[in-house]
Amino acid sequence: MMSAALVVFVASVGLLVVRNVKSSILLLGTEGLALSYMVWMSGPITLDKVAIVLATLAIKAGIIPGVMYRLVQKWPIEYRQDGPLPAWTYVAGVALLLTVTHVIQLLTATGIILHRALFFYGLASIYLGLLQIISRRHVLSQVGALVAAENAFVILAASLVGNLPMFMEIGMLVDLLVAAIILVWMSRLVHGRFNTTDVNALRFLRR
Amino acid sequence: MTILNALGPLGVILLVFVGHRLPPDRIRKVNALWVTLVLLSSVIWSYPELLQGHWTLLLLLGTNLIATTSAWDSVWWGREHLNVKIVRYYVWWALFWAALITVAVADNLVLSWLAIEFSTLASGALIVEMGNRRALEAAWKYIVIASVGLFMAVIGVLFLYASLRFQHLGWYTLDYANIRSHASAINPIVKEIATILIVSGIGTKVGLVPFHTWLPDAHSEAPSPASGLLSGVLLGLCLVTVERYVGAAPVSHSTLVSGPHLLLVLGSLSVLVGTFALLAQKDVKRLLAYSSIEQMGITAIGFGINTPFTREAALLQLAFHAVIKSSLFYVGGHLSVAYGSTHLQRMTNMVGQHRRLAIVWTVGILALAGVPPLGLAYSEWMISLGLWQAHLWGVLVIVTGSLVLGFAALSYHLIRGMWGNQANRLKNEDVEQASMANALIAAGGKH
Repeated sequence: MMSAALVVFVASVGLLVVRNVKSSILLLGTEGLALSYMVWMSGPITLDKVAIVLATLAIKAGIIPGVMYRLVQKWPIEYRQDGPLPAWTYVAGVALLLTVTHVIQLLTATGIILHRALFFYGLASIYLGLLQIISRRHVLSQVGALVAAENAFVILAASLVGNLPMFMEIGMLVDLLVAAIILVWMSRLVHGRFNTTDVNALRFLRR
Repeated sequence: MTILNALGPLGVILLVFVGHRLPPDRIRKVNALWVTLVLLSSVIWSYPELLQGHWTLLLLLGTNLIATTSAWDSVWWGREHLNVKIVRYYVWWALFWAALITVAVADNLVLSWLAIEFSTLASGALIVEMGNRRALEAAWKYIVIASVGLFMAVIGVLFLYASLRFQHLGWYTLDYANIRSHASAINPIVKEIATILIVSGIGTKVGLVPFHTWLPDAHSEAPSPASGLLSGVLLGLCLVTVERYVGAAPVSHSTLVSGPHLLLVLGSLSVLVGTFALLAQKDVKRLLAYSSIEQMGITAIGFGINTPFTREAALLQLAFHAVIKSSLFYVGGHLSVAYGSTHLQRMTNMVGQHRRLAIVWTVGILALAGVPPLGLAYSEWMISLGLWQAHLWGVLVIVTGSLVLGFAALSYHLIRGMWGNQANRLKNEDVEQASMANALIAAGGKH
């Protein structure tokens, strides 16, 4: 479990740093595989668990990276690259990781954390995902950031409660699937109508 | 009742797929009739409980009522927007309605969260269906910002679940009734963190300041029948969800981050920002959207005072706001089409040009401005009285001052729209255009 969580954390750092959109989609797929492995390894095998592993594998390692990859393949090369990461992002990233350690200290006293290392990987990856939404300007980077944050949420949940209820897991997976499909559809429209993949171009409403 | 709730949206989707070869106008009318039938059935079905004042049922019926008006307005709106794809419009509309019904009846925090998240996606897709750049931009901002907010909320939900995991109840752990009965078992620090995350996270969907930035864009660019549902129903239901949680897991009032405190602070900020923005608006739907921020602020304050009297006032405020605001969005949409613009400056001389729309618009704006004996005047008076009784003088000054300013701003827009002289303005524009054309011709001649 710990190694899978570490993979997700490293992939989250990679997602923040990598500029090539294709590479970031591969990192998302890797996160999906690692999460499926983590869920599989968590406790005894039950029918519910098999269903969740299969759904995670299909949605997070298959469908979502698949539709994103298919879209990016259709775009010319100049639209497959994100802009450089602003310098403040590195500072904010380090500050956020330090904040996670503080949150762990604060919550340890309450007794709700089951695995401190898992908690660190989970919360840190969530923060990095949210930082990615703010700092990255490519439409698909923002979609990837939302998916990465949701992936990290699974690790956070494992560190606090072990397994989430089946209905909650499946509900969140379906929500994520619908969200990703709608956002990928919108990314295609943004490229088609604005002739760019940079969210900075979305400024019509400010005029 | 559950079957009926599911059948409503499912019926819309089936009807639109089965009848996609029929003339679009007929599909729209059949759908509107179906939604009306669902509303009537739900009233008949729940009549005995309704008499007992069952709030969840009232919320459900309110949702179905506004959905019915939205479905009928879609008939009219559809004739004005022939470019919108009818099948996709109704599929997203039905999914949005289903999400709203689920939020209204949810007795579990996770179910509420899932339904709110789904409502974001369905309504976001509805906005995209407008098919222009502005709508796409608004929908993008809406989905990304609301998703981040809701993500914060779900972390709070997780902390809460972790605190109650010793019960081994699984899904039922986060039933509001279970949270209420075991609230004392939750560590105070965890409860405070969860409250901050849930109130601000779901507060993002309510449009509470400072998490409101998506709202004016999304509500103004959405199809008018969807704007009615978004502003009239979704915002209120999200606020009710916050209130359900705050009521179930009360945090000690000695801290400044208890649910009621947060609602008072965020509500006051929303009232201030919403009211001042009303004065500066130039777009009819943005005017209504900022008014929603103001109204949600007042309602949040009503819940934040946290007495049975003000809670009732806040629920009344939600009900009146739902009816008034949805009607105004419908009428505002038709006026925009009639004038060929959403600019308030161009919407003048309504009395002379669009008398019927002008009457509904006038009644709606006066009701929104809090003019007695129209409903909002009553609930706003109750909330102000609650603030007086609770000795919350600062908030009372903000609310009463904002109500006066809001009245002034809405009256100004109303009077200008009713009797403003379109002819003179157009004449001035013609003179300007003519002089510009002369200048261009002169410049062309020189070359």
